[in-house]
Amino acid sequence: MLMYPAGLDQIISLFEHLPESERRSLLVTYAEGAAHCAPKPGETFDLEDIRKDEECTDTVGIHLRVDENGGAHFRVSLGHEVQTLTRAMTSILCKGLDGAGVQEILDVPADFVQKITGAELVRIRSQTVYYVLGRMKGALKVWSNRKRAE
Amino acid sequence: MSDKFASYAHPEVLVSTDWLAAHLNDAGLLVIESNEDLLLYDTGHIPGAVHIDWRRDLNDQTVRDYLGPQDFAALCSRHGITPDTTVVFYGDKSNWWACYAFWVFQLFGHTKAKVLDGGRSKWMSEQRPVTKDTPSPAPSSYPVPPERRDASIRAFYAETLAHCKAGKPLVDVRSIKEFTGETTHMPEYPQEGVLRGGHVPGAQSCPWSTAANADGTFKTAEELTAIYAGDLGLKKDDDIIAYCRIGERSSHTWFVLTYLLGYKTVRNYDGSWTEWGNMVRSPVEKSV
Repeated sequence: MLMYPAGLDQIISLFEHLPESERRSLLVTYAEGAAHCAPKPGETFDLEDIRKDEECTDTVGIHLRVDENGGAHFRVSLGHEVQTLTRAMTSILCKGLDGAGVQEILDVPADFVQKITGAELVRIRSQTVYYVLGRMKGALKVWSNRKRAE
Repeated sequence: MSDKFASYAHPEVLVSTDWLAAHLNDAGLLVIESNEDLLLYDTGHIPGAVHIDWRRDLNDQTVRDYLGPQDFAALCSRHGITPDTTVVFYGDKSNWWACYAFWVFQLFGHTKAKVLDGGRSKWMSEQRPVTKDTPSPAPSSYPVPPERRDASIRAFYAETLAHCKAGKPLVDVRSIKEFTGETTHMPEYPQEGVLRGGHVPGAQSCPWSTAANADGTFKTAEELTAIYAGDLGLKKDDDIIAYCRIGERSSHTWFVLTYLLGYKTVRNYDGSWTEWGNMVRSPVEKSV
């Protein structure tokens, strides 16, 4: 059994053994694709968590839809000032977690982040690399709690 | 030189995007990008610019301190910098980290240094050339500086405490919410971990951003004088310490006070709130 959702596992395999320069280049490529993760016109969601933090960051909106089979689908809206690493992780997570079960995502250990970004980026920008995963898991917890209360 | 630059105390430390565009290929000039966003340089940068990261390149990797003279010389040599090289810093966040890197270079006496007014965002918004090509400058031989000049432009905890007790000018350049103690950090920002919120007793609040225009450029000398001499009452011969959380935003204010307004004695307390707010029994004030 895979430790991570299948889509995420594939992306991890892609990054895991890359030399540093190629890893950074691939992260930038993912970051450049982050705009495709934004909500599309007409889409509806089960939960939306959009926050604008003062001064040091920009708006990050987490838009969650859970399908009839319990699979989670994320869209993420990012303000202009959001950092490149956050953009890259947004792209990776939207693709890698798409359709995975709610509990499956909540159980994903955060150790995969280092396999993608490399130890150096985690060491010098640890909060940035974990941010989107934390926000996604936070949205799933709220959704789960609401579901339980219904 | 523009009227705006000419009115600053030391206009020679500032360059405009027009000037830089016209001098990009000058011999003896090196452009350095320093950002909060670690991968921003990789997404495209000013042609010929090298990347210096504050944490990886300017900090000691073990002790909370800056690199020493030996490592500074090695850093410069790696980028082909000699003592005669004019370095021009620019970066994101209205040049926070550019000013921080500039400040570190001044710790080692590299005075041939300038800051690009408006930083990265102005260059980009003007649709000026960018590249993903990383330059490979021929290594140079940079002499090891005799010392790191901590005493003149850097303040430590004990000095800041003495400053506070003596009622000397302290400028807290964090946001108002950080100053009042309502918050200690923001999401998606490196959490340096601080246990108490508030400010150094007696410090005046003047967020760094009051010195910057919306496009990241510095305000005019007249506007800056109104803020720092007028609103804060700082006098040119005052002994001033500026601080924030880890010393990056206060580098911006240090640069403004020292070079744009000509204050003689300004030190950056780089330990800042992450040291002060964690120190056992450190005095803390929460009122505005």
